[in-house]
Amino acid sequence: MWSKSLFSAPLRSIAGESLLRFQPCLRLLPISQVRNAAHAAEGRANGAKKGAGKRLGLKKGAEELVVPGVIIFRQRGSKWHPGENCAMGRDHTIYATEKGYVKYYRDPNRNPKKKYIGVVFERHWRLPVPVGEPRRRRLGMLAVPRESEGQVGSLSPLTPAGLDGEAAGLPGVAVAATSPEESSMGEGELAKRRRRKDYVVRESNWEIGRTAEKAGVTATKFVRKDRFRAWRRAAARHRRISETKSVGRKAKKGKQGKVKK
Amino acid sequence: MSIASSAQCLRCIGRTSLSSSRSSTWRAFSKASRQEASLNTTSSSSPPIEPTLTRQTSTPVTSTPLQTDPSESTRRQAVRKELKDPIPFEQLPYECFQEARKILQADREEKLGQIEIQRGRIARLVEQDASVSGGNVAKRKRLESMRQRLEELKILADINDPLVKKRFEDGLGDMDKPIYRHLAYKKWIAYKRKVAMQRITQMSVIPDVLPSIEPILDVDMNFDRVRVQPGNFIMSTTSERTPTFNVQSFAAGERLYTVAVIDPDIPNIDTDNFDHKCLFLATNVPISPTSPKVDVASLPDASVAHSWLPPVAQMGAPYHRISAFILRQPHGTTIDVEALKGQYPRDNLWLRDMVKKHSLRPMGVTMFRSMWDEGTDGVMERAGIEGVDMEFQRPPPEKLPYKKKPGWKFR
Repeated sequence: MWSKSLFSAPLRSIAGESLLRFQPCLRLLPISQVRNAAHAAEGRANGAKKGAGKRLGLKKGAEELVVPGVIIFRQRGSKWHPGENCAMGRDHTIYATEKGYVKYYRDPNRNPKKKYIGVVFERHWRLPVPVGEPRRRRLGMLAVPRESEGQVGSLSPLTPAGLDGEAAGLPGVAVAATSPEESSMGEGELAKRRRRKDYVVRESNWEIGRTAEKAGVTATKFVRKDRFRAWRRAAARHRRISETKSVGRKAKKGKQGKVKK
Repeated sequence: MSIASSAQCLRCIGRTSLSSSRSSTWRAFSKASRQEASLNTTSSSSPPIEPTLTRQTSTPVTSTPLQTDPSESTRRQAVRKELKDPIPFEQLPYECFQEARKILQADREEKLGQIEIQRGRIARLVEQDASVSGGNVAKRKRLESMRQRLEELKILADINDPLVKKRFEDGLGDMDKPIYRHLAYKKWIAYKRKVAMQRITQMSVIPDVLPSIEPILDVDMNFDRVRVQPGNFIMSTTSERTPTFNVQSFAAGERLYTVAVIDPDIPNIDTDNFDHKCLFLATNVPISPTSPKVDVASLPDASVAHSWLPPVAQMGAPYHRISAFILRQPHGTTIDVEALKGQYPRDNLWLRDMVKKHSLRPMGVTMFRSMWDEGTDGVMERAGIEGVDMEFQRPPPEKLPYKKKPGWKFR
């Protein structure tokens, strides 16, 4: 029946050659359509992917005991501001500068919008302190007898005592308490060296830094554009390195050879 | 409105030739500097070279030194030197300028008339019976506001006068006259007062020493030649000398003041806190706009309760804030110095109490800071202050008490 109708004479006369050829193909195509995505499946659209948690937030709660340097709050930006006896670090971290108890508060007289973290010395104290009241402060220091009693007044950090050649040649070398070098030193010099708190008797850093100046050592001025000098120095360095390497290799070879023999 | 232009004219009179030959002057200067010749102040026409000129001409060249403000620019000083014999305003050949002057003069005449009227009104009100003018309180209030208006008119009469402005800028203003007081007040409030306020609030002098202050006196503190900028560190050997105060008041008349210098940073080991100490206290000190000097060394003994004690900071101790307060005493009251001395000894003088007790009003303030330096030992020795042999040190950092971590959290 199918073949009959297909090749029937009247149809052929109406549609002509082309229709005849296409008719079966149209019927055989699959029924389908294209649907583009209406919503992005990945990337920014579905919210940024969260990285690892940064462990931000409160580290010490209200009225918790803190000592200087203890971190009270970690944050991005200044959600909280440092109040009494607190300070803000490089990354807006709030930390204590005094020993005491943490208080979270607002201070409308300072700024009505900001939130503050403070530390008070006594747990029952309240923040903010009323306007016009003197600050509550703490000395937090010890009074100790001044060292080098004989040198009081003559001690001047800006006038270095003349160093003898031996001392200038050996800067920063820790010496025993009764070294010959020390016994040759004057009273003031000895006292100055012994002022250090860690009991290591040595020159102070600023004196070490001046050693070259005292010994009259001068360095050639570095000229950035002087590429010839740079090349010469680099070449010398390479030569030196290769020499030391070759010496090492020879020594090793020699050793191995001996063992083999 | 035409003050600026007229003032400009005034400055330009003597240097028309200078401004016209500016480039040639500059050329001459550069040539001179090349030859390292001395510079001529009068030929200064370039702001960049003014510092050099100031340095070179630090000593006055003229035999009769001009009464000038040291802060006045060299260029202006030079112009002033040329203007020793200026042409009077009336003879200046500028038509527009003369017309403008006529307007200003008419305005001044009008103001002078208003002043006369206001004075008459005040005189009539003073003589009027209180019951007619609505009671004593109302009368007093009205008189007060009328007098205030009178003062305003006095200032308005002179404020457009270019010569007044010139005289003020030359430092020749008479502080007995309201206009010069007004100009000085405006100048002080524009910068110096702001700086002083910033320093005393940032360094917490307010509220550590007094709860609050609204200064209306310009206070300068000097140690011989050293002028104290509010908040500066002053060497102990400098502050060992007695200071001089220059207290410029901007209100007419003489009043009695109490001068107190307080150091609120004396370390106290026992209380682990800071004590206050009075370094200087004097009362019944008369100060008026024309006599602003208060020389601590030459004050009469009858008015000094505590003589000058040099401020010292022990080695290692935090810096001391030395704050000076000028407190106005109530009208017509004097304070008994002996009683004051007994009531308020040097140590732990709590200035708040004193202010409250004697109804003083804080009017002026300045401060400086003091730290341990090489001269401190000598200063302490000479002043008989103890503690030269002591030094302050920070104790090793404290640790938080050990707390066992909850086991269920860390398996």
